[in-house]
Amino acid sequence: MTEATRSHFWHSDGRRLSGLSTLLLLLPFFAIIAFVFVYPILQLLVISILEPHPTLDNYARVVDNPVHMRVLMRTLWTATLVTALSVILGFPVAYYMSRAKGTVAALVAVCVILPLWSSVLVRTAAWSFLFQRNGLVNSALMSLGLTSQPFKLLYTQSAVVISMTHVLLPFMILPIYGALRSIPNDYGRAAAVLGATPLRTFLEVILPLSLPGIVSGSLLVFLTAIGFFITPALLGSPQEMMISTLVSKQIREVLDWPFAAALVGVLTVFVTLLAVIFSKTLRFDRLMGNAS
Amino acid sequence: MNIASARQSASGASIRISRLEKRFGAVSAVDGVDIDIAAGEFIALLGPSGSGKTTILMSVAGFEFPTSGTIHVDSEDLTYVPSNRRNLGMVFQNYTLFPHMSILDNVAFPLKMRGLRTAERHARAEAALATVRLAGYGQRRPNELSGGQQQRVALARAIVYQPRVLLMDEPLSALDKNLREDMQLEIKRLHAELGITVIFVTHDQSEALTMADRIAVLRDGKIQQIGPARQLYERPANLFTAGFIGEMNFVDVRIESVGDDVAVALPWGETWRLPAAAAVEPVAAGEAAVLAVRPERLQLGANPGGQVITVTLSDIVYAGAALLLIGRLPDGTEMRARIPGASQLSSLAPGNVASFTIPTEAMLLYRGKRR
Repeated sequence: MTEATRSHFWHSDGRRLSGLSTLLLLLPFFAIIAFVFVYPILQLLVISILEPHPTLDNYARVVDNPVHMRVLMRTLWTATLVTALSVILGFPVAYYMSRAKGTVAALVAVCVILPLWSSVLVRTAAWSFLFQRNGLVNSALMSLGLTSQPFKLLYTQSAVVISMTHVLLPFMILPIYGALRSIPNDYGRAAAVLGATPLRTFLEVILPLSLPGIVSGSLLVFLTAIGFFITPALLGSPQEMMISTLVSKQIREVLDWPFAAALVGVLTVFVTLLAVIFSKTLRFDRLMGNAS
Repeated sequence: MNIASARQSASGASIRISRLEKRFGAVSAVDGVDIDIAAGEFIALLGPSGSGKTTILMSVAGFEFPTSGTIHVDSEDLTYVPSNRRNLGMVFQNYTLFPHMSILDNVAFPLKMRGLRTAERHARAEAALATVRLAGYGQRRPNELSGGQQQRVALARAIVYQPRVLLMDEPLSALDKNLREDMQLEIKRLHAELGITVIFVTHDQSEALTMADRIAVLRDGKIQQIGPARQLYERPANLFTAGFIGEMNFVDVRIESVGDDVAVALPWGETWRLPAAAAVEPVAAGEAAVLAVRPERLQLGANPGGQVITVTLSDIVYAGAALLLIGRLPDGTEMRARIPGASQLSSLAPGNVASFTIPTEAMLLYRGKRR
């Protein structure tokens, strides 16, 4: 694809739209991005260093206070755990989806996508029923004789991780599925006839070629997980806060906007760093260079 | 590895395919196929799509397991052995170079799977690249090479571990015409140098005719004829092969008598006496039969040693080396003639009636009716 075809819109009769009309068509999108994303973020970052007076005190409070640092670390750790679990649970599903045909394929796809059509709140509430003292999970464990006492499941970090993994799993499965689908069947056959066992074929050919899907799925899940609010708030323990809960507390209860802004600032730095590292270290163009 | 050592260690294996059957539900993709392939032979499986040629190759490669029948390479029964333990070389239609590996790593891949150390497998991969005349391309990526170069890399990758059999699944169909001819020569050269046994699947008959020692013509999962190119072209065993390989004129006739020669009644009332050898399949008096003759065997004008036909010309096509004359016999059957030496024929025009001679030895007789 040449530069010209990539950066312009086209009339139905094949004429290229003028630069001005292209700009006009793109303007609403960029306007929305600018007003509801770039502006508020910048505003927050400005507040974090200018209020109550130009200072880095707000950031110092984040770093100095071990409680706040623990919240930040817990958030990153939880997001990492959720991402890892999603890869482990999601890859086989994506692989199966990419191989399945006909009704089976449609059924699996529906199972993956259907949860996306219900709200996060509903799915989180469902988990809180399951995790109750007398909920399905505990009664199942007890009737199987695996435990005599009900476990404390609700309001624990495990409940948060399990529920978040469930909610975010489709965002892992779909990119991996896309990557796997673009790998021609003959690659696996070629590897096999060249002497690779099924395991080597997977490790040497299928896995590396599906890496772009794994990476974009991981980014989606990790970044969403960092900012997750409802699930930790409903299923998590108040003693084990996540950063979004802390930010919300600062804004709505303590009314300490500059400190909340500093928390957001730290998070933004993390997220940006992560995105830059991923895009620099993984050369997608090379990985996908010949997949056409 | 150089060519000489490769020849010593990697001479071809014989292959025996016996009573091979593959059914998909109610459909028979391969229906009782027997092929014996000699060590070092180059055999082409030729047929229209759905003829079962690819399924046979997939069974030899181990991607499909047959419903019944056996596949032996030398004396070893490979019928149900997984692909990765068959030690066969294979080249696919779409190159299938791994896009995330360099050319060198692609070629070294089968050696890596066989546990060779890095230094040795790189040296051998370099040597294999040299045999396909791509020395020095090792550090490039597959997408930096042209289609022809990629297919040569795929070829190097398929021979680097010195397999005794090379399977090729329409390896040239993704290339344009000139490249295809280059690659045909390249593959022929490698076959001659390595002495490897080749099974080559194609739907392109000229490719099969020029490259293979023997050609197996397939249709609906059955072998129609298997033999060297000349035999297939000059004496096709049945009507399907006669129509499938090259151009052929067909005329419906009726057998009047069979004896020392065969008397056939032509649709426009003539009776010709043909030598008994003209009957490829046994024919009986009173039966319908088809007379077949290649367009390039027709001679313009009435000559001795053959039968003369009159054709009303409808098209005269200049086709470079020969002139293609298309017309109709008195009963309306289409007849084509390819006459070399175009210049002397410039007086012919559509609508003219021309006489052609069919040499007696060019006539073939089959049972049945033309389609």
